[in-house]
Amino acid sequence: MVDFMFVVFAGMAVLGAAVLFFHPNIVHGAFSLVLSLLGVAGLYWTLGADFLGATQLLLYVGGVTVLLLFAVMLTTRDSQRIQLGRYVLGALLVGLLGAWLAQAFEGVLAVIEAGGVGVPADPQPTAPAIGAAFLDRTQYLLPFEAISVLLLVVLVGAVTLARRSPEAPR
Amino acid sequence: MMALLLQEAHAAAQAAPATEAAPAALAGAGFAGSLASYLVVSGILFLLGIATILVRRNALYVLMGVELILNAANLNFVAFARFGGYGLDGQMFALFVVILAAAEAAIALAIVLRIFHDFGSIDITRTDSLRD
Repeated sequence: MVDFMFVVFAGMAVLGAAVLFFHPNIVHGAFSLVLSLLGVAGLYWTLGADFLGATQLLLYVGGVTVLLLFAVMLTTRDSQRIQLGRYVLGALLVGLLGAWLAQAFEGVLAVIEAGGVGVPADPQPTAPAIGAAFLDRTQYLLPFEAISVLLLVVLVGAVTLARRSPEAPR
Repeated sequence: MMALLLQEAHAAAQAAPATEAAPAALAGAGFAGSLASYLVVSGILFLLGIATILVRRNALYVLMGVELILNAANLNFVAFARFGGYGLDGQMFALFVVILAAAEAAIALAIVLRIFHDFGSIDITRTDSLRD
């Protein structure tokens, strides 16, 4: 059952990313990114990370992609055909990178077969432990507070940047 | 190519029990029971994100490619933490990355709107001056 779910979610993630890359229409690309992020959230669930999957659903699928769609509709008029030259160059570079990744992957497989990877425990509910870790000052309290301040700065910064400045008309 | 890689990963996962030193995590496990299959998915997401960034000229595509790359890295964090026995630490890192990605998207989209306002286009090859 988990295997079936893995195949479904991995297929969603990869298919969404591929459509984002190949489809000329950016609105279709943004919606396929939603599909891909949903797939990744599902993969988190198959890994037993229930809270992280829910966060991915709320923040990415609910928040980031809506922002992206707003920006797409505000800024882009025409469809985005890829020029052949850039396409060939990009395919070449990605092919090189992919070959390198595959080689690194073989190294990782060797480590796995050598017993460097343990037996996963049965998944437990993670939300209570994550909440406790966030508020434990020997663990993640400092990053938690720092990221709270960062979010405030981002809020003010985004408003300041996106606002049309009335004092400097163009 | 992707199907080939997945097949390879699965074959490796199936072949592993033949050796005596193989950990039980791989013994008879399917896709979801092996670290390798998650690594393959994450690698494909990463490559597609890089490809999107390299090939497209629209700034929003670059942002979406960055999101794909961040998701690939997050998947690696969680998968390694689960199969390597690191408890919750991988998930905590991934949570912070998700929050930072949301912040990055908010700021970057504000900048994109600003660039569109000033240049009339968000083609990244045409935004070449910092001052008005």
